[in-house]
Amino acid sequence: MGFLSVLRKMKQKEKEMRILILGLDNAGKTTILKRFNGEDIDTISPTLGFNIKTLEHRNFKLNMWDVGGQKSLRSYWRNYFECTDGLIWVVDSADRRRMQDCKNELHKLLLEERLAGATLLIFANKQDLPGACSAEELQEILELNLIKTHHWQIVWCSAVTGENLLKGIDWLINDIAVRIFTLD
Amino acid sequence: MVEMYTYIWLFVSYYVRPIYKWFLRKTTGLCELQRICYGAVSGAPRVRAVEKSLGASRSPQIAQLIAHLNNVSDNHRFVGQNGREIVSGAVSTVLLVKRINPRVHFQFVKSFGHCIQQIWGYRQLLADVESLRTTTYDPDNVEHERKLMLLWEALRPDEMLASRITKQWQDIGFQGDDPKTDFRGMGLLGLENLLFFASEYGNGPASHVLSHSLHPVHGYAFAIVGINLTSMAWQLLRDGHAKTYVYNTCKAVPSVRVFHQFYCYLFYEFDRHWLACRPKSMMEFSDIKTKFESNVKASLQDPNNVFSIRLADTV
Repeated sequence: MGFLSVLRKMKQKEKEMRILILGLDNAGKTTILKRFNGEDIDTISPTLGFNIKTLEHRNFKLNMWDVGGQKSLRSYWRNYFECTDGLIWVVDSADRRRMQDCKNELHKLLLEERLAGATLLIFANKQDLPGACSAEELQEILELNLIKTHHWQIVWCSAVTGENLLKGIDWLINDIAVRIFTLD
Repeated sequence: MVEMYTYIWLFVSYYVRPIYKWFLRKTTGLCELQRICYGAVSGAPRVRAVEKSLGASRSPQIAQLIAHLNNVSDNHRFVGQNGREIVSGAVSTVLLVKRINPRVHFQFVKSFGHCIQQIWGYRQLLADVESLRTTTYDPDNVEHERKLMLLWEALRPDEMLASRITKQWQDIGFQGDDPKTDFRGMGLLGLENLLFFASEYGNGPASHVLSHSLHPVHGYAFAIVGINLTSMAWQLLRDGHAKTYVYNTCKAVPSVRVFHQFYCYLFYEFDRHWLACRPKSMMEFSDIKTKFESNVKASLQDPNNVFSIRLADTV
């Protein structure tokens, strides 16, 4: 039995998953995390560094890592890639001005070797705002159809109202679970 | 076991405390409030003791008075002439209920009035700060935009902004090219705090802190850190930790200005703490902030702490 399979066995016992939440600044990463955890979302400040939350959901232990998205912090994202099971890419669907930037950062991320096995969920956030792109539109703009290396899915949501958050995260967990817990 | 102690404590405070108070009243001829006002050190120790004593009072008149004062301060009416009348009304009520002769105890009247002013001034301050915080930064509001421009001018007097949306904002530590999204949950309060720091302490501490934030290795995002510190200051105000600061530095009814000064104190101290930690990158912010916050809480726990700050003088 190799080291990796021992590791996998240990993970299986605890049913633990490591999830990384990334995206441009002001996409709503912290709000999604706090809303999902049932915390107050009216008093959030821009994230400097990172937040970690461990939460229980459907008998899984989710280690959620939310890292700040401002440009000067993006070079530090790589420090959090190791052992990531799932990646949540959050998009501010109403920020049309920075869509190219958003697309480039995402595709750059997917080239990372250490993220190769991770399941990718794209949250088309801020659907409650007027002028927000729909999930279908975003799929075009972000050229998601080019992604062949990862299991991916795009889900519209609003962290403020909480709509569809569960749907997205459940898809992510199911996809990861099939991959890492039922393999052997 | 812990439960038993709690019961004993409740029993003591409910039955024994009145007996103890009655005994002291008979032997000293003074009620508890008088003993506090004459005995406790002025500032936070005295104001907090008065606050506790009033809260524990079982007199229905006192309870009514407290409800009235709460209402006044929650609705921002504890100001100017109205404020003075409310204080003297509150003092008269207590004099009547406790049967105190104001001519003999004129010193008590003065000192107790000051305590009332501080306790409910603090409560009003909380309401004022909260209404600023819940005002979202609005780029269509001329006044909001003007303040944002003033912030730039105060921090960068020698440099013009090329346009409203520009990468230059990142030079003073905003995340992107438009600061409006960075205020988030702290709303206008975040901007007002930054602006106060930059304009009131612009020549000294603020420019000193800004220059530190630009350090190539140990630097940090000035504006964003500032907004995170607004969040910390607001939480300390809300959970009552900031009482020590306010009660010890305020001579009059606490105003929003005191909150801004408290914020400046935090910013200045944070900057020192950050540099002393010699962080390798911004990613250490969460840990360093947590450590800093517990240090601040510890120093606020000491009611005699006068915060001999180099920058925030008394109002």
